[in-house]
Amino acid sequence: MIDAPVLVLAEGELRRHETFGPHTVNRGAVLFECTWEGGIFESGVMVGGLFRSGTFRGGVFWGGVWMGGTWSIGDWENGFGPDGRYHPRTVHP
Amino acid sequence: MKVVIASAHRFPDHARLWFRLLGRDLLPALRRTGAKVEVLLFRDATPEGFEQRHFPGATLLTRSFEALDVVEFREKALERPGDILFLLDADVFVLDGEWVASLLGHFEDATVAGVSLLRRGTLPGVFALMARRAAYRALQAPVLAPAFEGLERWPRSTKRQAGDRAALALRARGKRIVDVPLAATAARLVDFSGATAIRTAREVYGAVLGPRFDTLLVEEPDFAAGAYENILLGALFRVVFGAAYAVARGPLPFTAPDSDAHLSGSATPEELRAALATIRDRKALAPLVASFERSDRALTRLATLEGLTRRALHVPPVLPRARVLEARARAAASRLFGKR
Repeated sequence: MIDAPVLVLAEGELRRHETFGPHTVNRGAVLFECTWEGGIFESGVMVGGLFRSGTFRGGVFWGGVWMGGTWSIGDWENGFGPDGRYHPRTVHP
Repeated sequence: MKVVIASAHRFPDHARLWFRLLGRDLLPALRRTGAKVEVLLFRDATPEGFEQRHFPGATLLTRSFEALDVVEFREKALERPGDILFLLDADVFVLDGEWVASLLGHFEDATVAGVSLLRRGTLPGVFALMARRAAYRALQAPVLAPAFEGLERWPRSTKRQAGDRAALALRARGKRIVDVPLAATAARLVDFSGATAIRTAREVYGAVLGPRFDTLLVEEPDFAAGAYENILLGALFRVVFGAAYAVARGPLPFTAPDSDAHLSGSATPEELRAALATIRDRKALAPLVASFERSDRALTRLATLEGLTRRALHVPPVLPRARVLEARARAAASRLFGKR
C-alpha cells in the first residue's frame, strides 16, 4: 500500500521559507527560498531555496541549489549544483 | 583602445529604449576619446521582437550552446577581442556619457583591473563594471559566474553574486577595482533595479499565482518599486515610440501586442494603486514614497535626454496625494528631529 500524500500544494499558493517533507506533492504552487526534502514536485515554480531530495517531475527550477534527488523532467532555468557551481539554463545536475 | 559594451536583455521594448538612450550620449562620448566601441546585446529570450533595425550597429546574440543564458553570455563577452569589457545591466541607463568615458583614464594605472560604477551588494558586482579584459581573463573560468560556498553550512552558506569571486581573486593578486562613490554616480546613472525583475517574475509565475501575484506588490517592496519603474519607463516609451510597453506575452510568440495591454506584463497603474491602497502602515509606506520619488527624478533626467519634460509624459499617479504629503512630512521630521 502506498502512503497518500498529506500535503498537496496547489496553483495560486505562494510559500516562503518553509521546509516540505517526503509526503508533499507540489501541483502548481510557487515556493520562495524553501527547502524540499523528499516529496514530488509535479508542477509549479521553485524560486531559490534548496532541493535536498525527492523527485522533480515538472515545473520550473529557478536559482536554487540542487543538493540531490531525481531530476525527471522540468524547466531548469538556472541554479547551482551540490558543489556550489552555477548551472545555466537547461543544464540541470 | 577598444571598448566592448555587453548587455543582456529579456524584453525587446526595454532593450530598444535602453539602446536608444545609450546611443544618444554614451556611445558618441566613448568614440570621442578615440576608442573603438562595439555593443554586444544578448537576447535572453526568444529573438522575436529584437529587430536589428532597432539596434543599429549592435551585434545581437541569441541563446545558443555557447551561451545558454546571461551568465554564460558574460563569459563569452570576455573572449571578445578588446581592451575593456563594459558590462552594463539592462536596468542601468547612462545619463552622462562624457563622465563615463572619462573613467577610462583609471586604466592608465596598471594595477587597476576594473572600474565599478554601481554596486548593489557588498562587492562591485557586474551591474556597471568596466573590466580590464586581460586581468579578468587571467582568472580561472568561469570568471564572472555566481556560486555558493560552504553549502554544508546551509542555510548559513555564502552566495557569491556574479563578479564577486573575480573581485576577490583580483584583490588577492594585488589588483584594484576602483569603486566610484554613490555621490558621484547619483546624477549620472539611473538604476531601475527592479524593472526587469518584476516582468520576469510575472512571466515565469504570474499565471500560476493568479490574483495572488498582486499581493506581492504589497509584501515585496522591490516588486512595488519595479512596478513603478516600469510605469515610468512605459510613459517614456509611449511618447518616444508611440507604442504600448511591457505587454504580457501570450502563449504564441508571434501574437501581436495589444495596445490596451500596456504594462500588463508588469503591473498596471490601477493594480499598483489598488495594492498600495491596502498598506495602512505609514512606516511601511514611507520608504516606498521615497523610492518612487527617486525614480521620478531619474525619469525626469531620462526624459531630458530625449528633449522632453516629465509633464509631457503624463505619468499616472499611483499614490493618493494626501498620503504622499504625509509621508514626506514624516521623512522631513525624521531628518530634522531624528524621529522614526
